[in-house]
Amino acid sequence: MGNVIEVENLRKEFKAYSSRSGLMGAFRDLFTRNYKIIQAVHDISFTVNQGEMVGYIGENGAGKSTTIKMLTGILTPTAGKVSVNGMNPHKEREAFVRTIGVVFGQRSQLWWDIAVQESFRLLKKVYRVSDSDYKEHMEHVIETLDIGPLLDKPVRKLSLGQRMRCELAAALIHNPPLLFLDEPTIGLDVLVKLKIREFLKEINQKYNTTILLTTHDISDIEALCDRVIMLDEGKIIYDGSLQRLKENWGEGKQIQFTFSQEITSAELHPLTAAWGVKWSRGEQDNSWIAHVPKAHVSEIISCIVNHYEIQDLNLYEISTEEIIRNIYEEGVAHG
Amino acid sequence: MFYLSVFFQYMAQYIKTKLQYRTDLLVEFFSDLMSQAVNLIFILVVFGHTDLLHGWTRDEMIFIYGFFLVPFALFGAFFNIWDFNERYIVRGELDRVLTRPVHSLFQIILERMELESLLGAVTGFIIMGYAGSRLDLDFHWYDVPIFLLFVIGGMFIYAGVFIALATISFWSDARSSIMPMMYNISNYGRYPIDIYNRVIRYILTWVLPFAFVGVYPSAYFLGKKEWYVYSFLTPVMGVAFFVLALLLWNAGIKRYRGAGN
Repeated sequence: MGNVIEVENLRKEFKAYSSRSGLMGAFRDLFTRNYKIIQAVHDISFTVNQGEMVGYIGENGAGKSTTIKMLTGILTPTAGKVSVNGMNPHKEREAFVRTIGVVFGQRSQLWWDIAVQESFRLLKKVYRVSDSDYKEHMEHVIETLDIGPLLDKPVRKLSLGQRMRCELAAALIHNPPLLFLDEPTIGLDVLVKLKIREFLKEINQKYNTTILLTTHDISDIEALCDRVIMLDEGKIIYDGSLQRLKENWGEGKQIQFTFSQEITSAELHPLTAAWGVKWSRGEQDNSWIAHVPKAHVSEIISCIVNHYEIQDLNLYEISTEEIIRNIYEEGVAHG
Repeated sequence: MFYLSVFFQYMAQYIKTKLQYRTDLLVEFFSDLMSQAVNLIFILVVFGHTDLLHGWTRDEMIFIYGFFLVPFALFGAFFNIWDFNERYIVRGELDRVLTRPVHSLFQIILERMELESLLGAVTGFIIMGYAGSRLDLDFHWYDVPIFLLFVIGGMFIYAGVFIALATISFWSDARSSIMPMMYNISNYGRYPIDIYNRVIRYILTWVLPFAFVGVYPSAYFLGKKEWYVYSFLTPVMGVAFFVLALLLWNAGIKRYRGAGN
């Protein structure tokens, strides 16, 4: 169980040029240009073990794609150490990329004009996969992803969901021990998403494939990843299990009461102040939401029900998405 | 060896794609043929008015043009990267190229292959045949390998210059109009070099060595002994410029910034 990815104080800076205003400004830009140095990725360190499935999350512009591009050898880091599969990605690019698979959700890896199977054939050649390896491995992949009927169609005639499944198969032609997925489920419908998740789980179990994925869809992470790395403004703000994230941040529940008559917060507060409940107004008329510590749920409900007449009552768990939103609003995660 | 087999795989794929669009292929073939015919007529008209230019006869000049068309056709077929900035940098296609275990420039050349440009070489041979027969040129068996050597050298000079230009995109994100300008300059190489003044002659020989694509190698076949040294420098210059461009490319690729999502 060696470390597949080792990253130490990795940094990527970009120069962002800004132009001065007006004609004179344009002339001055000819000689000296204003620029700011932007730290897209700021001294991050982490390691990933063989067989792990890691979710790499962050808002737009947090540095996710930049990190992935450095890990896959596309970009050269400004400073720091990267070692992936025991190699330096950008220094030994050609040998290195034969050991990884990459899917960019927003960019096709396949040739637009030719049939899917022809793309596969070219990639098989490029990755020097033998006929027997290809047959043994890909037959299974094609069957599991259910793309057999699509193989003789040109890529431009496929729907997004069909294309995405083909992209995934294409990334696996050389059966890489490490897979990078940059937003693999973007824009896909639920059924395709489920199929892709099932498939990823399966290859992870079967080949012990390490998977690093970025996504905006937290349900992908919940379904697949034991571990999340959370990024904000180029820095890692959380690295640990999804479970721990939930325990530390998702404590307590929300109870929504819908009362039969109008109630003010002044009436509710004194009743529950002892348990440290916070009240906020709900979306419907006469509804109030109590933010409650887990241990006291039943006491609070009985207390409210004893005092006021209730029409409806709902109990919510705090969702992962909400936890993550809270973390971004408050900054660094504790724990 | 591996690169050669990848090359043939891509070529087979290219032909297969082209064959799928049969009518397109036919139309393209005829329009290419037409444009070559227009080229041919143009040459005959232009050179019809000049008999002797700095000691070069009309037929000699036509021969130079005919020769020039062959390396130029090869260049057009395999180094068609004038839209590199637009396609690979701005649209971020280079990301995909860089995740594959083949040299990035080689992949781009394969993807941009345009074999129909090879038709230009046929026109070149016709012109050379026409001019050569009027000039009563001697022909030896060893002229064939020398011809190949010069043609490939010329192609690499062209490729070197245009690849070097493409690498500018790695350092500057501004789109430049330098490519069309360079196509214009490259045309000067197909006229006798001694009609130009010294500065231009120097530039066309050592800086943008387009003279090595047309006039210098042709001088060998025309039996102009005073130019032989330059003729045989053609493959040397070709290799030198191509290697230089390759080094620039490898340095540039490290500076690639990627396109945002």
